[in-house]
Amino acid sequence: MSGFRASDHVDWEFGTVDRRIFWEPEIYQLELERIFARTWLFVAHESQVEEVGSFVTTYMGEDSVIVARAADGAINVFLNSCPHRGNRVCFASSGQGRQFTCNYHGWAFGLDGNLKKMPKMGLYKSTPGFRMEDWGLRKARVASYKGLVFATFSEEAPSLDQWLGDFRWYLDAVLDPEDGGTEFLPGGATRSVMNCNWKFPADNFVGDIYHALWTHLGGAEPTLGRHGGVIVDNKGSYQVSVNGHGWEFNDSFYGNAATMGDRELLRYMKSRQDAITARLGKFRADMWGSVASATIFPNFSFLPGYFTFRTFQPKGPLKTEIHAWTLVPKDMPDDIKDRFRRGSMRTFSPSGILEMDDGENWEFSTQANAGFVTRNQRLCYAMAPGGELETEGLPGHVTAGQLSDANQRQFYRQWAVMMDAETWSDVPLDTPAVVQEAAE
Amino acid sequence: MSAAAQPEPGLSMEEARHAALRLMDLHGQGPEVDDLLLRRIERFCNREARLLDEERYDEWYGLLADDLFYWMPLRENRYRRDRRGDISPDNMAFFDESKADIALRLGRINSNLAWTEDPPTRHVYIVSNIEAFETAVDGEYEVHSTFIQYRNRVEHDEVTLCGRRRDILRAVDGGFQIVGRMILLPQSVLLAKNLSVFF
Repeated sequence: MSGFRASDHVDWEFGTVDRRIFWEPEIYQLELERIFARTWLFVAHESQVEEVGSFVTTYMGEDSVIVARAADGAINVFLNSCPHRGNRVCFASSGQGRQFTCNYHGWAFGLDGNLKKMPKMGLYKSTPGFRMEDWGLRKARVASYKGLVFATFSEEAPSLDQWLGDFRWYLDAVLDPEDGGTEFLPGGATRSVMNCNWKFPADNFVGDIYHALWTHLGGAEPTLGRHGGVIVDNKGSYQVSVNGHGWEFNDSFYGNAATMGDRELLRYMKSRQDAITARLGKFRADMWGSVASATIFPNFSFLPGYFTFRTFQPKGPLKTEIHAWTLVPKDMPDDIKDRFRRGSMRTFSPSGILEMDDGENWEFSTQANAGFVTRNQRLCYAMAPGGELETEGLPGHVTAGQLSDANQRQFYRQWAVMMDAETWSDVPLDTPAVVQEAAE
Repeated sequence: MSAAAQPEPGLSMEEARHAALRLMDLHGQGPEVDDLLLRRIERFCNREARLLDEERYDEWYGLLADDLFYWMPLRENRYRRDRRGDISPDNMAFFDESKADIALRLGRINSNLAWTEDPPTRHVYIVSNIEAFETAVDGEYEVHSTFIQYRNRVEHDEVTLCGRRRDILRAVDGGFQIVGRMILLPQSVLLAKNLSVFF
């Protein structure tokens, strides 16, 4: 797009966003190039590809990819498209195997993505200049943080540790509260589509607890009662932002979990509070299941308490596919895991009494922009109670009070910076403080 | 008035697993019911669909047995060679409910605070291909059916879902109650933003 400047579309100081970024096909194409082909993207939990030969397929932007555990134990991520004529080489969402064979001509690729063989191989062997090693499935860089596997197709991207930065310290509240690590509950992703721009759900999770007080009144009533048992205000609550990743939270320990309406589950969580506090310290232990939501830039989000983790996969400027999983500590009793499986489904899935009311909002926030006059009026991201006081002594940019648009302004700032940046060297990263380990 | 007012019995994990395995095992092994009984079962299914179309949820709730297991499992794309079953009660699901859970869901609708149902969705629920068989339990019948469920909201907002149901109906005074229901959608990616609906 000639003359397009993303920074002209976002005012991250006061807080306004140009609605054309949720609509224009050219802006979307630039997002695929400058955001999705560049950043680290979540692709799998290690528990999904535990054994050699196990794989899942997913998307990085609109690029279909395979995540596979190779014989050497490494997790590889590569394009799910044969370099011969371009057909997809794997059609299963998950499975187990030794190779991926293209249906079209039978080219076969190993668990590392390398081209292994094809029918009538001699025809290629006798082709001058043809080398097997030139025609593997294109590989991404892969790195993990406490069970979560990320990948990027950018050679210039900073390390995953640099990219997550101080956000790791907070992530431990959900990724490392107990010994033994975490896992995704079985059965693959719960997948559904919404006719919305991918940024609306991502910005909702990065810092919008404000909507819950109105959108979810009906969904919260059956478990919490008309005037609610969960308190949301700006006392004892925060927003933290690092490199566009954001988490809004309070100190209620299991405030989110309460809306699943399962007293046994809350009793169990309460029984773990001392041990988790001993492991993480009181501040982060109180975040474990609290009233909170988070997004890892650009499109990987989660909710403490329900422990739903999800990607908002872009499918054009006006369509998003949601892939959701539920994460639990591996050593949790089976009965409690099952309660989380059903509790997260009943609240945050396409049939969930809370999620059902979100999709409607995001679809109409997107579709309204069909109107020329409508999409030329900016949206308001200005809420900054008390001018948002920076909180000292915590890693990242922390502001007091979870009811604010602070993280959403930082999310769109990161978006604009990456969209305008020619290379990664034009993307400044927050300097991490010392990251301490979760467990002593 | 609200169905959610008093708590209903739930199912333990073991009871739910047992109910799921029972539904998974229904393939029309028993003798077919006689024509008169089939007619009564068809009438029950038609009435149930109409109650849902007309949002008469409290009446519909009255058709559910206290030991109800109501299940819509996820479908995943897997190769034929994959030894894991297509469907497992341990997997994530779209619905995995006891009667108490259904009461919670009705609580959302009955709150009159679910903005996305106001103005209301208009529904048409077509149930067809009904087959019914005797089961090992006296007075409980295995019922297979197919459905098309159409929803429309506001202006252009519409969803058509079709699929298959496997039910266990229990004969009670003057009619039937739903003891088990497995709903199989053919979609691996739900091509809809929500399931703000019952099947």
